[in-house]
Amino acid sequence: MRNAPWPRLGWRNLERHRKRTILTALGLAVAFFACVFIVGWSQGIMNEMVESATSLVNGQVEIHDAEYLPDRSMYDTIGGRGGADIEGLLEIIEQDVTVVAAAPRLYAGGLISSGDATTAGMFMGVDPVREVRLTRFLDELVEGRLPVSGQNEILVGEEMARQLAVAVDDELVIVGSGADGSMANDLFTLVGVFRTGLPDLDATFTVMPIDVLQSFVVLPANRVHEIAVATVDPFGAPTTATRLAGALPGGGSPLEVVPWMELNPALAEYVALGDSVYGIIVAFVFGIAMFGVANSMLMATYERRREFAVMLALGATPRSVWAVVLSEAFAIGLFSLALGAVLTFPLMVWFHNAPPDMSWLYGDLSLNGALLRPSLRVEYNLPFAGLTAVSLLVTVVLAALYPAMRAGRTPPADTLSGL
Amino acid sequence: MIEWSGMANRLIAVLVLGYVVMPSPVVGQTDPVAIMEQVDRLLRGDSSRGVATMEVVTENWERRITMELWSLGTEYSLVRLRAPQREAGTATLMAEDDIWNYLPKVDRTIKIPSSMMGGSWMGSHFTNDDLVKESQITEDYVVELAFEGDRDNVAVWEFVLTPKPDAPVFWGRLEYQVRQDDYMPIWTRFYDEDGELSRTMTYSEFEEFDGRLIPALMEMQPIDKPGEKTAIRYQELEFDIGVDENFFSLRNLQDRR
Repeated sequence: MRNAPWPRLGWRNLERHRKRTILTALGLAVAFFACVFIVGWSQGIMNEMVESATSLVNGQVEIHDAEYLPDRSMYDTIGGRGGADIEGLLEIIEQDVTVVAAAPRLYAGGLISSGDATTAGMFMGVDPVREVRLTRFLDELVEGRLPVSGQNEILVGEEMARQLAVAVDDELVIVGSGADGSMANDLFTLVGVFRTGLPDLDATFTVMPIDVLQSFVVLPANRVHEIAVATVDPFGAPTTATRLAGALPGGGSPLEVVPWMELNPALAEYVALGDSVYGIIVAFVFGIAMFGVANSMLMATYERRREFAVMLALGATPRSVWAVVLSEAFAIGLFSLALGAVLTFPLMVWFHNAPPDMSWLYGDLSLNGALLRPSLRVEYNLPFAGLTAVSLLVTVVLAALYPAMRAGRTPPADTLSGL
Repeated sequence: MIEWSGMANRLIAVLVLGYVVMPSPVVGQTDPVAIMEQVDRLLRGDSSRGVATMEVVTENWERRITMELWSLGTEYSLVRLRAPQREAGTATLMAEDDIWNYLPKVDRTIKIPSSMMGGSWMGSHFTNDDLVKESQITEDYVVELAFEGDRDNVAVWEFVLTPKPDAPVFWGRLEYQVRQDDYMPIWTRFYDEDGELSRTMTYSEFEEFDGRLIPALMEMQPIDKPGEKTAIRYQELEFDIGVDENFFSLRNLQDRR
């Protein structure tokens, strides 16, 4: 079949019925566009979710005492009751090439009160300098500034500030339980208000310097509940976690190094579910396209049955007739692909770099602990675009199989005699 | 550890008044409802003042608190810590449905939000739910006599209390053992909604205070945390002390005496 004229014939046949060719190709091109764009958009949402859930407040990897989760007991600090060399651990963690930042945290619960208003909340003790490198929620405060180590200074979420009717520089009474069973209480100055967009966090979280919280709950400086770690790529978190688990010293109480997929399995499952749906989307879209292509190929071959009869009468084999029809289909496929690419990629570049902001329509959404800013950002996914291209070509060829077989079976004598 | 005034109120009610049950002539067959009603009736009314120590033993720490308590009926109570020294003066006021804590370290009074009525009181094994809720036993529970006779050579009654439909109660079932000769409770067992034993309260050291017999020691043991307990022991107790609603004021709450 080398040098066989069939592919050329197939290609030339496209021009016979230009309008029909273009319409068929447009259908396939739109199918290609739809697949690549929908999946790109869905991946954009997934990435936004993962990025938001793992960098807004949490880390992509968290290190705890092995006993800490799921009860989050105040006493299960890293290294157990004896504590650990936190600075030493941070140094080892930051030596890992995939680690962007790491920060220690301490948690406690209690009451926050101002005047007649009191609310229950969670105190998060942070190292302000390290924390801003790790998470985003303290990057842009609604008002005020970050607390300073050693000072009784506190940040509260926007909703809590509203409930307590407090503003920057107001005094807050903080009440909690000390690790020794005593009632801990002290006065703090509100120095800033943050906003995560997650209603629960904004209503219940407060942030204060970790050293201040440690002395408030009567724990020494070497006891923290968590070291949160930010990595270069959220999807590489499990590898980083495994490597860190190997690098961090044992001794004391065993550590647990957990990637976000384990901390937020709902989100991880959601992402996996999305991935598995992409194939189904392709199957549906091209399944529909296939019938359209089959129809137009059937029409094209029916119209040309005299031509096929002549070919067959002149000694061409049915196989050659199939080759002509399938080549034509393949040529339509290539043309559609080119059309699809022209249609898709400029829009992809646009929607990737400057996605239209849809928040005027929906506002911020939160899902699985992640904050979504509803934009139509699409992600590039070349392997998927490749898969879609192959699917398109397979679709046209499959759609042409039946018309090709019919064409190959054209009875030459009957057809030519006008029967 | 926060909202402890409800507890305090109930504590006073239970400790001071709750079991000051005068043996009454229950003639003929035992009437469980009548006995429990008698307990319940004595849960309210009357004023008192007392001093008690509370010892809390947990897996992580042990602590001992001395407190002075005042009460008026079930609507008003005031508890002030005397020891440890670091927390002395910390006080809780419950007046009708509102609760305030006074924190001497910061010299501030905070009002406890009603949403914070859950959780343990002062790190003890008392939950606020059963302490704050003024459930009237015979109103909320169906009382049945489960046993009448001798246990360890003491004549007792054992009652099983199951919640009435729609009763706003936390527990799935309560069991009481009450001494027949003086109506003193010996233990209460608390079962959760699944019928699992959750904790046990035992009463002992029955002593007369101000002419009334009460169990001076009350111990609460959570079943799921063996080795942990909360024990409250009365050292002083007097009744009809002549206080009125005005005593239970925010000004008095902040009094550092």
